[in-house]
Amino acid sequence: MASSSQFKQLEKLGNGTYATVYKGLNKTTGVYVALKEVKLDSEEGTPSTAIREISLMKELRHDNIVRLYDVIHTENKLTLVFEFMDNDLKKYMDSRTVGNAPQGLETNLVKYFEWQLLRGVAFCHENRILHRDLKPQNLLINNKGQLKLGDFGLARAYGIPVNTFSSEVVTLWYRAPDVLMGSRTYSTSIDIWSCGCILAEMITGKPLFPGSNDEEQLNMIFETMGTPTERTWPGVSTLPKYNAQFKQHLPKDLRAILQSQTQGTIDPVVMDLLYALLQLNPDSRITAGQALNHSWFAEYYQ
Amino acid sequence: MSVNQFQTQIVLSRPYLTREQIKTAQKNTIPDRRSYNQRRIMVFKFLCDMCTQFKFPRRTLETAMYFYQRYHIFNKFETEICYDVATSCLFLSCKQVETMKKITEICLESLRLRGMLKISPEALDNCKKRVIQLELRILETCCFDYRINQTIHIDEILCKFGKELLLSYDLCHLAWLVAFDALKLEVLLMVPQHTIALAALRIACELSPDVTWPNVRYQLFESDESSLNEVYFDLLNFYINVFELSDLKDNLPPGFETVGVESFIQLKKSAGRERGLKEPDNLASDAYITKERDFSIRERRYVLSRKRINEENLPVKPPPAKKEKT
Repeated sequence: MASSSQFKQLEKLGNGTYATVYKGLNKTTGVYVALKEVKLDSEEGTPSTAIREISLMKELRHDNIVRLYDVIHTENKLTLVFEFMDNDLKKYMDSRTVGNAPQGLETNLVKYFEWQLLRGVAFCHENRILHRDLKPQNLLINNKGQLKLGDFGLARAYGIPVNTFSSEVVTLWYRAPDVLMGSRTYSTSIDIWSCGCILAEMITGKPLFPGSNDEEQLNMIFETMGTPTERTWPGVSTLPKYNAQFKQHLPKDLRAILQSQTQGTIDPVVMDLLYALLQLNPDSRITAGQALNHSWFAEYYQ
Repeated sequence: MSVNQFQTQIVLSRPYLTREQIKTAQKNTIPDRRSYNQRRIMVFKFLCDMCTQFKFPRRTLETAMYFYQRYHIFNKFETEICYDVATSCLFLSCKQVETMKKITEICLESLRLRGMLKISPEALDNCKKRVIQLELRILETCCFDYRINQTIHIDEILCKFGKELLLSYDLCHLAWLVAFDALKLEVLLMVPQHTIALAALRIACELSPDVTWPNVRYQLFESDESSLNEVYFDLLNFYINVFELSDLKDNLPPGFETVGVESFIQLKKSAGRERGLKEPDNLASDAYITKERDFSIRERRYVLSRKRINEENLPVKPPPAKKEKT
């Protein structure tokens, strides 16, 4: 942005789903901001992702959701002015890699981050908004240890009217098995699965299910969590991409798997929460509100 | 609104305005009120046809009509481009309420409905360009404020309220038809959708021979007496003045065939003195309303909270010292 702006444009922070993000400084208040420059599509005009992000984020005011302050229109450019956060969870975890070995975060930090993540998600869900793209890159953190949900470019309001939603949402690694099998009637449980994947990743420092395509992603999930059947997940065989020939796996001991990837001892209580978040059947998955009342978080609510 | 040395302007969103505020602002934008009103009805019909063609739900039409009328509070009404404005409003409305359609499809249908038989690639391209240019202007006119057309839509909330108030299906159907006529009125710019739904239900109740409007506290429905009266009297006046042109007239449901101008005159008589939203005292000094929007200012910022504007009026602070990362 040129000098005729209220904001001084500083270094580039990254590329979002439909925009480039810069650090900025409000010349009047001296407050740092994140400036998200939206690329205006010459074919389809203002991207609908930007419209979603503006409409949903302007409504959401919560400690664990990044604030959208202004929308700026300059000539043919649209800039969204967000609260500035120092880092994101992905970069933060990457920065802790020793040599080539990823490191999990300290238990207290994992708990504090997961608590904040679930608070943000619970608030979205209470306001009938699905984030649909939760992943470490979209969880912004600052030097006070605060974590906030960002990038609502794929988010949408749900509820009335009931539409079928797109299944092309959520980065593959954090995508729920029901979505991978083509479910278009998903709801809040889509975000809960992602919260489970993120929790496991914070514990070990490694993504839990790093598949490279839909098929491999499902297979990785089933290898660990067991292949679902009509008995364990009524209705699973009616999902569009369900395949009766899926390789049959029995559930493995997730705690043992995670434990083999981290040095600290994993608390059985966090495993109880993790299993509740990573239920294959979306109807059995815990809600964000219930998760916040889980005994692992007792120190925060007692 | 304030302008400072950075050629920047900060505008606080005010999604709803009173009748007088709208009239005052329109003095800058609508030179011929009659022509505007005539066109508005034609544009409404045009938008209805577009929505029917694409099988869009009513919420798409409702949002497009809000955008169309809102646009003309802050932008000059020009008969030559009003269909382009309407097309752009519909295109934006599709994005807003997630009834997506490609711009090419929208423009082709728009041109076809305007009587263009052979649509050349140039004509299509020009239409697309105009629609995209206007889209940003519409967004600015609304201050990028999507709080209003986001989740609540008149017809949907009307059904919910009807159920809550234990009103019959037929009565809700009548209210649903009344609410359709409400989309043509400027009341869309004055009160939120759920209040329009409540007012339509009240009118439907009062038109029903054996039903009385339940003595509900409007606060329970997140509304209030003045806002509801604003819509109620606006709708009554509309039917009294132009019942013949209303959609209700041609679609009266079974059991309500006798409803006519007289019915509305009667309702108005029983309702007593016409009342509605209180007009503000500062109409003449309110620059947001009286001054024409200056879209030539290079940087135009839109905020939802007055706090953001107040913060910038505080003395300049030095930038915060750089801290270590987490």
